Amino acid sequence: MTRMVSSLSMLAIDAHDVEKTFRSGWLRRRETVALRGVSLTVARGAIVGVLGPNGAGKTTLLSILATLLTPDRGRVTVLGLDVVREASALRRRLNMVSGRPSFLWSLRVGEIVAFYGRLYGLSGRALRRRVDSLIELTELEPYRRVPYSELSTGLKQRVALAKSLVNEPELLFLDEPTLGLDPDVAVRVRAHIARLRREQGITIVLTTHYMREADELCDEIAFIKAGRILARGTSGELKRQIRLGEVIALKLDPARVPWLAEIPGVLRCVEVDGWVECTVDEAEKRLPELLRALHAEGVVIRNVQVREPELEEVFVELAK
Amino acid sequence: MSWRNELLAIWAVTLRNALMSARNVFFFFELLFWPIVGILSIGLMSRFLELSEEQASFVLVGTIALSVVNVCQLEVAYAVLLDVWSKSLKHQFLAPIGIRHLTLGSWIVGMVRSLAVFVLLAALGRWAFGFHVLQPGWLALGTFLLGCFLTAWVVGVAVCALITLFGNRAEAFAWASVNLVLVLAGIYYPISVLPDSMAAVARALPLTYFLDAYRAHYGFESEFRAPAATGLALSALYAALAHWAFLAAIQRARRTGLLLKMSE
Repeated sequence: MTRMVSSLSMLAIDAHDVEKTFRSGWLRRRETVALRGVSLTVARGAIVGVLGPNGAGKTTLLSILATLLTPDRGRVTVLGLDVVREASALRRRLNMVSGRPSFLWSLRVGEIVAFYGRLYGLSGRALRRRVDSLIELTELEPYRRVPYSELSTGLKQRVALAKSLVNEPELLFLDEPTLGLDPDVAVRVRAHIARLRREQGITIVLTTHYMREADELCDEIAFIKAGRILARGTSGELKRQIRLGEVIALKLDPARVPWLAEIPGVLRCVEVDGWVECTVDEAEKRLPELLRALHAEGVVIRNVQVREPELEEVFVELAK
Repeated sequence: MSWRNELLAIWAVTLRNALMSARNVFFFFELLFWPIVGILSIGLMSRFLELSEEQASFVLVGTIALSVVNVCQLEVAYAVLLDVWSKSLKHQFLAPIGIRHLTLGSWIVGMVRSLAVFVLLAALGRWAFGFHVLQPGWLALGTFLLGCFLTAWVVGVAVCALITLFGNRAEAFAWASVNLVLVLAGIYYPISVLPDSMAAVARALPLTYFLDAYRAHYGFESEFRAPAATGLALSALYAALAHWAFLAAIQRARRTGLLLKMSE
């Protein structure tokens, strides 16, 4: 698993104390603080997730890193370049996919990818080859001559993915890349993302609302809320960091055993789909005690599973 | 950035705008319907009013200039408008594209389209009203068209800057601003008939000088000394100002977040 490293040369992103406030209104000025001193480092080749509730500042952070927004304060270096002073040079080396992509409505799929290819300096045979390979990669061949406005949400997302790879970026920002997609399409998009890192070593920064997606793809996760990063680390580290404990799931007969929650070391018990899920401080120590207590009370144990808490539970805890 | 990449980026925008133009039915109206309606109505009005041949030429030059500038200016404004309408502005500015690529690429398509309009109107003017656009010679005609194209570029880039500065609310400028310029530049009349304050504004517009220079070949005494040179100098000044304004507007949109807001 890739780890954050301190060596600057190994960092794809090095952001310190980034602040951003949006101001609106002419007569009655309104201020919305989006980022309050965010610091983030991302190692080259890593997939890092930025998670948080709506309005937490995820998209603002990504937009600053991708040079679409300028920060009010702080120092941000991406791929060794300053995001404000060296933005033009940086744009050649990164790309982005957003959750609700949109391109010129009457351009066809192949034309959209080719348009962006030309902006990145591709022409002639090299451009044709790149467009062909990206259309093949994203399985868009049957839709190559279809206008963008006639594509489904999933196909539009694939066009965005193809466009985002046209410059063979060293760093890719994925802002809710599977938002609104059918589950089977979302699975394929996630597989593409994993393959990009595996085969091309692209550094990826991902925002998502889907905890399973973050758990599956990301080496590390940063939780952001109200413009601040509250916690960061691997999925396992985060689960331990907020002391959620482990979960012992039991299939019992009778199914309801309310006194289980009173056993020392059991933090809480809930019933989920016929299972009793007990969150305990330490599964290895508490499992024998639980089994002994159940046996003593004559409760039949039909199945037992031990697992770590879901990332979603971590998210809920942090978002409180 | 290398020259090759510069040209490729301009070509990318040119091709994109040309494809969009070819697939939009409203572009047909911009290209054919309104210009033809314009020259026919003005030409017939000049016949009804029994204007002399010189006077009819004066107003027909105006109506041709109106169509040429209008079509070309709109195309330059499309550099930003197309992306605003389709909410793809942030993808555009995430790529290594400069405003010079956007405006020059759009301007090329605009010039091609307005040249097509010009040829059509010239043929119609000759056939229906005996008006000959080549009477002043190729050089005078070329200078006149260049003046129209430069005016269109300046107004179009200024519209782009306004849209980037104020968002969709400024869209009306795209349609209205050029007409204001045309009215002030003395499209159907010499600017000497304007009130003093408006005439002063008209003297600051490059198109005023290009119209004056071209009409001088149809028997109207020029109101200015070296009008073509003055028009070119003013165009260069305004082109630089419009470019700077658009650049500043983009930088502001990156600072305020409007660039992202217009893509949502």
